[in-house]
Amino acid sequence: MNGTLVAVAVLFPIVAGLICLLIENHRARAGIVYLTAAVLIINSIFFLRQVSFPIEYSPAPGWDWVILVFSYAILAYFIFAAVRDIIQRGASRHNILTIALTLAAGIPLAIFEFSWAPHEFLERSPVFYICHFSILRGLIVSVICPLICIYAIRYMKVHEEHRMRLGELKVTNQPRFFFYMLVLIGAMNGVAFSDNLLWLAFFWELTTLCGYALVRHDQTPEAITCGFRLLWMCLIGGVCFTLAIILSWYSPLNTISLTTLVANGAVSHPALLLPFALLCLAGFTKAAQVPFHRWGVEAALVAPAPVHAMLYPFMTTGAFLVLYLAPGFPGTQLAIFLAVYGAASALALALMAISQRGGISVLVCSAISNLAFIILCAGIGTPSAMAAGVMLIIFLTISMVLLYLCVGAIEHHIWNSGIEDMEGLARKQPLLTGITIAAMLSLLVAPFGILISKWAAIQAASDIGIWSTLVLVLLMLSIGAVTVFWAKWIGRLLCQSPTPGSARLEPFIAHYHGILLILLGFAVLTSLLVAPMYNTLIAPIIVDAGYDAALAFTTETWFLRAPGGIFAGWPVFIVVAIVLLIPVIALKAKPEASRAAYMCGENVEIGSDEFVAVADERTELKTGGLYIESLLGEQKLDRFVVPAGVILLVILFLLVAI
Amino acid sequence: MSSGWLIGSAIIAVIAVPFIGGWLRGIDRKLTAHMQGRIGPPIAQPFYDIIKLFGKKPMVAGQAQLAFAFAFLGLTVSAVVLFALRQDLLLVLFVLFFGALCLPLGALSVKSPYSQYGGHRELLQFLSYEPILLLAAVPIALKSGGFTIANIFEYGQPLLPDLWITFIALLIALAIVMRKSPFDISGSEHAHQELVRGVVTEYSGPYLALIELGHWYEMVLLLSILGLFWVVGSLWWLSIVIALVSWFIMLIVDNVNARLTWSWMVKFAWGCGVTLIASNILFIHIGWM
Repeated sequence: MNGTLVAVAVLFPIVAGLICLLIENHRARAGIVYLTAAVLIINSIFFLRQVSFPIEYSPAPGWDWVILVFSYAILAYFIFAAVRDIIQRGASRHNILTIALTLAAGIPLAIFEFSWAPHEFLERSPVFYICHFSILRGLIVSVICPLICIYAIRYMKVHEEHRMRLGELKVTNQPRFFFYMLVLIGAMNGVAFSDNLLWLAFFWELTTLCGYALVRHDQTPEAITCGFRLLWMCLIGGVCFTLAIILSWYSPLNTISLTTLVANGAVSHPALLLPFALLCLAGFTKAAQVPFHRWGVEAALVAPAPVHAMLYPFMTTGAFLVLYLAPGFPGTQLAIFLAVYGAASALALALMAISQRGGISVLVCSAISNLAFIILCAGIGTPSAMAAGVMLIIFLTISMVLLYLCVGAIEHHIWNSGIEDMEGLARKQPLLTGITIAAMLSLLVAPFGILISKWAAIQAASDIGIWSTLVLVLLMLSIGAVTVFWAKWIGRLLCQSPTPGSARLEPFIAHYHGILLILLGFAVLTSLLVAPMYNTLIAPIIVDAGYDAALAFTTETWFLRAPGGIFAGWPVFIVVAIVLLIPVIALKAKPEASRAAYMCGENVEIGSDEFVAVADERTELKTGGLYIESLLGEQKLDRFVVPAGVILLVILFLLVAI
Repeated sequence: MSSGWLIGSAIIAVIAVPFIGGWLRGIDRKLTAHMQGRIGPPIAQPFYDIIKLFGKKPMVAGQAQLAFAFAFLGLTVSAVVLFALRQDLLLVLFVLFFGALCLPLGALSVKSPYSQYGGHRELLQFLSYEPILLLAAVPIALKSGGFTIANIFEYGQPLLPDLWITFIALLIALAIVMRKSPFDISGSEHAHQELVRGVVTEYSGPYLALIELGHWYEMVLLLSILGLFWVVGSLWWLSIVIALVSWFIMLIVDNVNARLTWSWMVKFAWGCGVTLIASNILFIHIGWM
């Protein structure tokens, strides 16, 4: 039974992807995507119904050989892709680094697997380890990602039609697109359930491959460059994996089981600290943390919106890995480093988001900043911090994916994703804008889940001693910075000249509005039902990690109670709903009450964007958002942030090595 | 304290706070006038103003603007209620921030040059005071043993002797929230400047009255947070004295300063306010305080 569930979660999307690759018919492909979504969601319900955890499971030994062959095949493909790029476009930093890092990851692994430690040791540790944590990871991947794929059915069709009109595209690329999307789902499920580091490394490289292929999907020169940037940065993670496998095999534990590593911990086995640090670094590369944020920020300009939505769970696998490892090294220099590094990374990217003018760019910066919060929680390492980290992952995945998809839908309305071009969208697309604003508020204000998690993180961070001062200062400043860019964006969406009468709802598109409303429903329900969700999904994870769940949070009348505070979530939720929704729905300003905006008495007429300027000339009124590029421009910040990130990572390895 | 008492005090707070707030505003205007060599309006003038505003014909510049005016008042009152129920200080602040955020959102929802200016500057005010207020909850929690306001009452000792550094930082935040010079960048009291009336330019009549009322709640809530620094023991009345003295300091600061730029404000708040609280937290961890 367990074997079947894992096999369905991992293999079904991959097989479905292969079928998508073969069929040309759009409807048939849509049918396969729907079928995959249904199978994965039902499968994850079966997973939830399992009671006895943890379950160890290894497939037949023949699969080890399949994985072995494919893991080198992926590395060979990376080299092939880089060489092809060198031939087509000449050598660049990106393709040279890709080749170098692929070799650095592959050659030691090959020497280790074939010469130092012969292949039979694979049988010593279970391949898959199914615990509450992996169930939650599988649940997020299996429910959210298929929704993105369903959304992409329409999105990619419209996207390609638009590109064909512009003459950028001649034949459809959709079979390949859905192939990589679905394989990525399978690979992320594989990462969620794998325990054997060799298998984990294979699925890890498979996600990297899919991420690379999806970013370069539009095949423009910029997209190809961004793909290679993602590839070599994530390959640093691959090198880390190889080194971590070798180091943990030659450590006193003599294991390549992730769970065994975490259970024994670096506190009693100091030799494990270096493999832990390497695996964390692999997590940073995938989660696009400073200085690897460049791949995320640059990719924002090239890839279609569903790819970005999919890249969010992709980045989250990195944060998940760090959070899963965290109970292995509480209180060590690595833990303190993670807390400070996470807080600094969160602040840097939140400040960078203020100056971004592209919708997707803001989302990417905010996503990376939020993932840094999870790494901060992993660094604090107390039971409540772990709980806060897990909560953050759930809430963030829902809200961030929702927002990426919202921006994608807006893009197909205005054929642009610049924030300035979204001015006044509330009047043209009231429903879509309403969902978008609700999604932004879910990231920004209490009592939505993300603020509950941030509240939990503040509670946790305040009792880790002297380092908490620095962590908390950075954390609070980033909460302040986050407010600026979301509020500005909401302001741009709402900004319109006073016009009598109310806006008409746009036509309902099931593939856009339907999916968005489902995700918004998830965001609201999970925030409202945070206490029962905590008890059923999160508390068992804390217990699995070896913590006393009573030290984290308790629930009381559906309030979340920390040792030092209480979050009265649902009453506030009701109050917010009343004060926000009732005026919106019930109060309608009478048309005759409408007045034009104040312009020192020089308006032309109501409903017009013009004013009377010099010599009675009608001049258009233009307004714009606040970006503070002179202080917080991307280049300005990166000149400081990238070197600082590199120096921090060097310091980490100096600390760990000593 | 029993839940009946708490609910009673919440109801009293909701009813009494606007009277306290309006009265303080009246005295504020009178004292400011005297400091500037004017006679000034009667102390009850803010009440006359608000009654008059409620009687005016409603005029709006957009549906969203109207909703945000209600939300600003509603959420600020909710924050006051949560405070009176002695809930988590962070939660009170989060709800207060949500309310305060409705003000710039309402301003930004109208395509009007002055209101856009004011709304964006209001966001910068936010950027300045939000970290200070949130961070101030940490040393309070470290001393009193928890983030809830009930913890402060149970702690049994006044907080001010150990947390006077945090208190000074809170005064900076208070000045920004009350939009007193030199921090009145998003909408000055004196309507002849380049901003016109900034963030509330597009509001008029009953909706302006709602916002004015919200400001009264907001001001009294912040003064009450300052009052928390001395709420126990036989000298509990010092909390009121502390709140009033802080308020009076705001008046003087307002009258001896000119408006400065937003970049100076953000730098001052982050550099000075945040550093003060951070050093206070550090001292607590070292054991000096």
